[in-house]
Amino acid sequence: MIEISSVSASYGKHQALDGVSLNVGRGELVVILGANGAGKTTLLKVIGGLVPALSGRVVMAGNDITAMPAHAIVEAGVALVPEGRGIFGEMTVRENLLLGAFPARARAGEARNLDLVLGLFPRLKERLAQTVRTMSGGEQQMVAIGRALMTSPDILLLDEPSLGLSPIMCKELFQILARIRDAGLGILLVEQNAKQSLKIADRGYLIESGRIVGEGAGAALKADPAVQRDYLGAG
Amino acid sequence: MTLLLDILLSGLVLGGMYALIALGLTLQYGIARIMNLSYGEFLIAAAFGALFLYTGMAVSPVLGLLLIVPAAFALNWLLYRVVLTPLVKRAKNQGMLEVDSILGTFGILFVIQGVMLVVFGGSLQSYSYLSVPVYILGTTLAANRILALLFALVIGGVLYLLLTRTRYGTALRAIAVNPVAAQLSGIDIASASALAFAAGGAIVGAGGVLVSMFLTFSAASGVVFTMKALIVVIMGGVGNMMGALVAGLLLGIAETAVARLVDPGLTIAVTYALFLAALLWRPTGLFGRPAR
Repeated sequence: MIEISSVSASYGKHQALDGVSLNVGRGELVVILGANGAGKTTLLKVIGGLVPALSGRVVMAGNDITAMPAHAIVEAGVALVPEGRGIFGEMTVRENLLLGAFPARARAGEARNLDLVLGLFPRLKERLAQTVRTMSGGEQQMVAIGRALMTSPDILLLDEPSLGLSPIMCKELFQILARIRDAGLGILLVEQNAKQSLKIADRGYLIESGRIVGEGAGAALKADPAVQRDYLGAG
Repeated sequence: MTLLLDILLSGLVLGGMYALIALGLTLQYGIARIMNLSYGEFLIAAAFGALFLYTGMAVSPVLGLLLIVPAAFALNWLLYRVVLTPLVKRAKNQGMLEVDSILGTFGILFVIQGVMLVVFGGSLQSYSYLSVPVYILGTTLAANRILALLFALVIGGVLYLLLTRTRYGTALRAIAVNPVAAQLSGIDIASASALAFAAGGAIVGAGGVLVSMFLTFSAASGVVFTMKALIVVIMGGVGNMMGALVAGLLLGIAETAVARLVDPGLTIAVTYALFLAALLWRPTGLFGRPAR
């Protein structure tokens, strides 16, 4: 459903992405594994419209969204949960979720999406009036994903959602992501936690110095000795 | 006792004006991220507009609001789109935009002030509208001051409700909180910023009309209002509407008290003393949270 072809991007003189191509289908969970500075975050920012692509194309459901501003990309059905969560810390949970439903595409399904989000994260239901800044890291991540889901996306982009979460919260988070995928959304997940993310991923890509250096089905990658050595910490 | 009440009432009126004016600056600085040094010039321009309408065409200031406020909105929208948008586009970060907008609007200040000096001259101006005393609890207050305070309350209250109870208003506040997350929520920051800047201009236009009903002003007094609005915004905490209200009222009452009890010449000194105390004691504002 989303097709990224030969995308390059740079931060100043440093080339962060060099001809990256990948795709994510409907109801598919795809994980991108790579070391710090490999270009994972830049890739998500290019797709989300926060960093311009120098070359290449991003096509969402047949629409070229490469040069669109970030707010228009949301209307095209792509929701990004950036690193550092992208939430409104000084506002309440309710306001954060309401803001997620700001795009025109999200208005009609607002009530349904709110039910979906509160079903996935029952804890938020009791905390609707709480200021997000005062919540725990795990709860803030719930708000962040909830806000993104409220935009009624077809593709969800997540940048290191497990960062700073306890192991239990982390496991819970990945189970919820699998449920979101099963509901029909495409998910593109950038993760350091290779073990957990490969467990739920349908496919995965390996990224190194801004290039895709490998890809495969989740189970195949998990069994690959090179992946085990580089990403899963096996000797 | 009467003196105290007198100070309190006059202070409330003045403070209400400051709070309203600060609310507009909050929109421009908090949401559109423009530190607008020409802010007070729009207040004085609106005051001259009200003066001209009243003395030249017998249009009451209340009716004048209906003309001047939309005009101030349109002018500020144009200013943002034509002059400030290029600065926003080329700024690599918030600090750079702050420096550029301060320099840019400093220039605009002198352009507007120069035009007003040529058209209206440099002398102090005032007009007499509803300057009849109203008796309240044993003291008196001019009817025009009461009217100005009522209008400030209504305008401020409506703005508060729009910003907190509507989806678009919530989106505007969201830009002040986290502009990146706002874009990722589908909010078009560029057009929303233009609207917030224009709305801030409309507020200061309304403030100018209201202030002109009971204060004397000249083409050169804009900068005083810019400074007071800035002080109230910083004292209340940038982006904090309740903070601006309390800080505005506090400043109005303190100024009035010093003018009546000590010496009118000391009001500006008191303003800055309060400001310094707030900066030293609570640098993020009376209601701001401690800096991270």
